Amino acid sequence: MSSVSVARFTGTVLALMMIIPGCSMAPYTPAPRPAPPPVVDRGVTAPEQPDSPAPMVPEPVYPAAPVARHQPPAVVALLDHAEAQANSGDLDAAAVTLERAIRIDSRNPVLWHHLAQVRLAEGEAVEAEQLATKSNSLAAGNSGLQARNWQLIAEARRMRGEQSGARSAERQAAKLKSR
Amino acid sequence: MARRRKRRRTSRSKKTRRHSLWTKLLLVLSLALAGYLVFLDFQVRHQFDGKRWSLPARVYARPLELYVGLPLTTEQLAKELSALHYRPVQAARQAGDVSRNRNVLHFITRPFVHLDGEESSGNARVSIANGAVSRITDGVSGKAISLVRLEPVMVGSFYPSHNEDRVLVKLEEVPPALINGLIAVEDRGFYSHHGVAPLAILRALWANVRARGVVQGGSTLTQQLVKNFFLTSERTLTRKLNEAIMALLLEWHYDKDEILEAYLNEVYLGQDGKRAVHGFGLASHFYFERPLTELSDEQSALLIGLVKGASYYNPRRHPQRARQRRDLVIDIMAEGELLDPEQAARARSRPLGVSRYQEKAINTFPAFLDMVRRQLRRDYREEDLTSEGLRIFTTLDPQSQWQLEKILDARLARLEKWQDLPDETLEGAAVVTSIQGGEVLALAGGRKPRFAGFNRALDAQRPVGSVIKPAVYLTALEQPDNYTLATLLDDGELTYTAPNGDVWAPHNYDMEFHGMTPLYHALAHSYNVATARLGLALGIKPVIRTLQRLGVEQDFRAYPSLALGAVELSPLQVTQMYQTLASGGFRTPLRAIRAVLAADSEPLQRYPLRVKATVEPASAFLVTTALRYAVRQGTGRALYQELPATLDIAGKTGTTDDLRDSWFAGYTGDRLGVVWIGRDDNQPTGLSGSTGALLVWRDLFAGLDDPAPLQSMVEEIEYRRIDPPSGLLAGEGCQDAVELPFVRGTAPQESAPCAYDAVPVQHPVDWFKELFQ
Repeated sequence: MSSVSVARFTGTVLALMMIIPGCSMAPYTPAPRPAPPPVVDRGVTAPEQPDSPAPMVPEPVYPAAPVARHQPPAVVALLDHAEAQANSGDLDAAAVTLERAIRIDSRNPVLWHHLAQVRLAEGEAVEAEQLATKSNSLAAGNSGLQARNWQLIAEARRMRGEQSGARSAERQAAKLKSR
Repeated sequence: MARRRKRRRTSRSKKTRRHSLWTKLLLVLSLALAGYLVFLDFQVRHQFDGKRWSLPARVYARPLELYVGLPLTTEQLAKELSALHYRPVQAARQAGDVSRNRNVLHFITRPFVHLDGEESSGNARVSIANGAVSRITDGVSGKAISLVRLEPVMVGSFYPSHNEDRVLVKLEEVPPALINGLIAVEDRGFYSHHGVAPLAILRALWANVRARGVVQGGSTLTQQLVKNFFLTSERTLTRKLNEAIMALLLEWHYDKDEILEAYLNEVYLGQDGKRAVHGFGLASHFYFERPLTELSDEQSALLIGLVKGASYYNPRRHPQRARQRRDLVIDIMAEGELLDPEQAARARSRPLGVSRYQEKAINTFPAFLDMVRRQLRRDYREEDLTSEGLRIFTTLDPQSQWQLEKILDARLARLEKWQDLPDETLEGAAVVTSIQGGEVLALAGGRKPRFAGFNRALDAQRPVGSVIKPAVYLTALEQPDNYTLATLLDDGELTYTAPNGDVWAPHNYDMEFHGMTPLYHALAHSYNVATARLGLALGIKPVIRTLQRLGVEQDFRAYPSLALGAVELSPLQVTQMYQTLASGGFRTPLRAIRAVLAADSEPLQRYPLRVKATVEPASAFLVTTALRYAVRQGTGRALYQELPATLDIAGKTGTTDDLRDSWFAGYTGDRLGVVWIGRDDNQPTGLSGSTGALLVWRDLFAGLDDPAPLQSMVEEIEYRRIDPPSGLLAGEGCQDAVELPFVRGTAPQESAPCAYDAVPVQHPVDWFKELFQ
């Protein structure tokens, strides 16, 4: 893959990120709810416990209302930088920059997608597929990005000569796109 | 006649023979001399052309990146800058200056070549509010800045066996005042002589004769370099001769600047314990904690003065002598018009300005560096590590490391008091990592952080106890059609007879059986019998394969007791196992190194972020949910005695037979920590997982309000309200329902008996009773 297609991809993804609501950072935050009454211990004593506070119930993880989130400026700056590096053909440096962004915003699926792109451009098909899978695991509710990840997985598989795997990934992508 | 002639001939031939003997001797001698010269020439050129110095590898921590929203206190930032030897000043003017006005720090960073290229000097004003960076502006223009990267703290070096150290400098980096001053003081004729200066030697000789001792050296800088470079320091005529010849050869082959640069890097300027301080670059750090480029005139003068005798004029030991010498150098510089009278007067009026000497272990964080070194040894030869000047960029987060060091020893001391144990009987180890990146942020190999001994985090193989249980439950939850968080497990009495006739009858920590209990509850409360039965139902081999998928690369024997943690792992291995769970099922090999660069900053090797999907995200999600219950309701709930309820944590305690090992593994949205406490003699500690290791973990994460969510939503997951006693769907009438996640389509269809009850009235009194139970 040439750096031009990386640039194309980077551009589209950047655009995607701006358009698709809730696709930046963590897509879900627990919805605030009143504290529910604690669970009865049913006579079970917590054996390893010194005097403990009242038991609490962990909050379920709910999908956040799809509100466009503000992209942290530091992450935007790093993305721009990575894009410039990838465009100038310095894929190694672009990967390093994307890792910096991931350290700041580690559950942002777009950043993982970018990294997958760079790895694919470097010919690291196995790594690229794994990173795209990781991106998907963080992209619940964002079918546009998921479709792109599946497209990338298809390319990675084709690069490795896995034609049928590539086709099934493409079917996934198509299915998500039609959503 | 004939006889005479013969005799004459004989004498002539004798003469001829004698003559030819002389010739031969001369020939041999000149050949030997020529050979010797060639030998010296070879030596001179070989040494000078080839690598001139073996440079230790430098190990750097992660560079701190500042951006709005980063959780950081003013104290933490100030400490980081202090570790980078920034100078507190009234108003920041040059690189390395920092001024502070309450919660605003204004500083000027130094240029630094990072692993992705050079970052030039930056001028930043950073405001901190409520434990996070709230604003960053350019110190000059006042415009907002999105990101500032500091230089990384240097945390250690890998030294060659002869313990020479230096920070190489290029000629153009050296302040002109220092170069000119050095020439003025040591070798006025440097730019005109050819390596030796006979007049200077005569002058020195005369001075020495007059003073009846050695008061003056006539050596040129070139000779001094030769002496340091190639020869021993014995004072013999042969050595002097060799020195002169080699100096001439050196001047013949190389130009003045090359020789001068070599001299600046070679000259001996002090001693730091076993470490010999060579060159002005390192001396500047050693005496003033700043790079050469930031030296003031009087500081340059002091270093020039040290050339004459680094130990005699040692400014820390003999400040009086050092000051006289420095002022003499300032005088010479003024005479040579290198300083104007005003500058000279100002320089003389200043104190020595030498930093306080810290008798420090060469490597600040030996346990972490041990890990780095082991990782490097797989890719590099030992001599390359200690001689090639490699620049090693690690993942170490000094803030986490300082915190870990501060709390571990203190907590162990408190636990010893509580348990009536003699001082220093308990040992501990801990690993802190970033969850998504798998980077090792902090590592404790024992409670004494400066002691480079047994690295328990890496090498202590200890029984893990219940810390292993998530692997058993994960194996079950990966079969969503057979097991959900609400599946009732049997915690009733169990006697298992192995095929070889061995009988195994596990019991619970509280010596009771708890009957039928939902799966999440059994893990949260760490019920042994339910877990043992589950392990037997699943088969131990699938559990072993789960462990391996989680990243514990090791073979285990398939005993049923494995399900209860009867296996030995190191804290690092346990960390790897939880890493995969915490990151949603993606295994990332734990990294201590980001990259290795050559001395010229050319990248040699990167250790990039790699992930591998080894566990279904939905299954990892379910296990993490159960582990959230473990710290809210189960064996880990002592955490929330001190931590805010808003901090979302998943964690698991582990305790081994007779309370020999105390474990806690827990994670928040972006950090994972694993703590082990035990004794080196493997005697009981009196501590369970929750009364020992958990408290260390709690101290470690105190003050942390992690904004990152602990779990990312997984599309295949849906929530249902469940009545725990029955494991069925709760209805209006069920009092103590919990909301549990299920893989879509696997939640129970049937409603619990209580769902049909009349809606009960909430009794606030009961609620409070619960609170104070």
